[in-house]
Amino acid sequence: MITFTKVSKQYVDQTPALHGVSLKIPTGDFVSIVGQSGAGKSTLLKLLSAEEKPTQGNIVIDGWDITKIKNWQVPYLRRQIGVVFQDFKLLPKRTAFENVAFAMEVGGALPKDIRKAVPQILKLVNLLDKSDTYPNEMSGGERQRISIARALAYKPQILLADEPTGNLDALNSWDIVQLLMKINKLGTTVLLATHNDDIVNALKKRVVTLNQGKVVSDQEAGTYKL
Amino acid sequence: MIGISFARVLRNALRNFRRNVWLSIATTVIMTLTLLTISFLYAVNVLGVHVLSTIEQKVDIAVIFKDKTTPAQIQTIKKDIELRSDVESTRLITADQAREDFRRRHADDPYIEEALRELEVNPLPSSMFIIAKDPRFYETINSSLQSEKYAAFIDKVNFQNSKAVIEKMIRIMDVVKNAGLIITATFSLLVILIMFNTIRLAIYSFREEIDIMRLVGASRWYIQGPFLVESVLVAVMSVILSTSILYFSLHTMAPQINQFFFAGQNANFDIYQYFVDHWLQAIGIQFGAAVLLAVVSSYIAVRRYLR
Repeated sequence: MITFTKVSKQYVDQTPALHGVSLKIPTGDFVSIVGQSGAGKSTLLKLLSAEEKPTQGNIVIDGWDITKIKNWQVPYLRRQIGVVFQDFKLLPKRTAFENVAFAMEVGGALPKDIRKAVPQILKLVNLLDKSDTYPNEMSGGERQRISIARALAYKPQILLADEPTGNLDALNSWDIVQLLMKINKLGTTVLLATHNDDIVNALKKRVVTLNQGKVVSDQEAGTYKL
Repeated sequence: MIGISFARVLRNALRNFRRNVWLSIATTVIMTLTLLTISFLYAVNVLGVHVLSTIEQKVDIAVIFKDKTTPAQIQTIKKDIELRSDVESTRLITADQAREDFRRRHADDPYIEEALRELEVNPLPSSMFIIAKDPRFYETINSSLQSEKYAAFIDKVNFQNSKAVIEKMIRIMDVVKNAGLIITATFSLLVILIMFNTIRLAIYSFREEIDIMRLVGASRWYIQGPFLVESVLVAVMSVILSTSILYFSLHTMAPQINQFFFAGQNANFDIYQYFVDHWLQAIGIQFGAAVLLAVVSSYIAVRRYLR
């Protein structure tokens, strides 16, 4: 369970990015966060991965109040939360296999465990045949799938996807969303921040709408409405 | 777990070094030049101090005793002077010794020999040469010799002749010491800044990777470790290089240096031998400076991307 209680985030000399946000996201939920640019979608996800700290309020993940997190605890939190970005953030000089293995290495996984787990994850994202391929030899959709594979390396409880289809065409976007749903069915909580109304409407999952840092709508099986 | 993490940090350090091989070489070269600059300034300082102390040994105060001063009184004064904390040594030349020296020096001149034989009394006085522990002390020693206490025994204190030399030497020593310090500090600061920027440049090329590492939950040590290890690697290579160049250069130049500074001075100083005898100090300074420089620079540079 993820709980946001009256969470606000104010960047220096700017209008509030989030203002008094309260949300409850049960384990295994699939939530689309929608809103215009600057509505606070990315900030909400950054607060969950402790890239940013809230100015006010509390965020609790399975009983762990991450607003009081110490710097040395941040890596442990991030190993429980997979993050997928619009710009993929893959290491260009490493193959698909190495990019996924890299996340496991960072967490101290044993080499034999890495050798066993990485092909399984690549199979899950349908890219086992691209193990030895470098990111610049792949399509945008394939790169995003590698990025998702990397996010799954720790078997995270939560997957944060920040505009994962932002750089993809409609077909590839739909592939990625289906992959996220597949991961969600395996028990991972998925938070998807997106602009893409077609996807949100087709998903028929919970939709939280943000406007100027505030939650203006929170609907089960909702649609994209601004 | 810790073993694996350490092995990965080591492997990543070597990979970073290889992947940025030209930048790594540039860093090593700059660090080697830094160490060589520091080492050569240190060598110049050592040499300067030895040259000055050789000259220092040649400056003294000459005390000429009155004819009526007895050898016992002279001995008392000698002991009195030697007890002073600012006096390094004294050398006494009695009237008889002075005459013998004079004879020896003019052994080829029959007229002088003749003249000495005709004189019934020895015309040469007893004298004493005093060497101070520091040229600065000559003024005080001179004042004390001019006091009432010794007035009845001492005819003349020959200090004014040496005074100009002594004062000049004090000034030179001060200049050598201060200039050496300022030059060393300035050069060190300059090269530290260059070094720091070179390491920052190396780390800048890894900023994307550092960012991704943070996002996938890498610990601080996992991110920073390879850069610190790489820095130590660069430091060790630089020390090996600079030590080799330093000892080779000193070995080649030592005879010329000795000839230039100490020829005809009845003194000998082998700068190469000095560095061989003080190898621990010489390499220790370099190693300490190199590791400190590299580790501090990379620590500060990486920290910027870890915020």
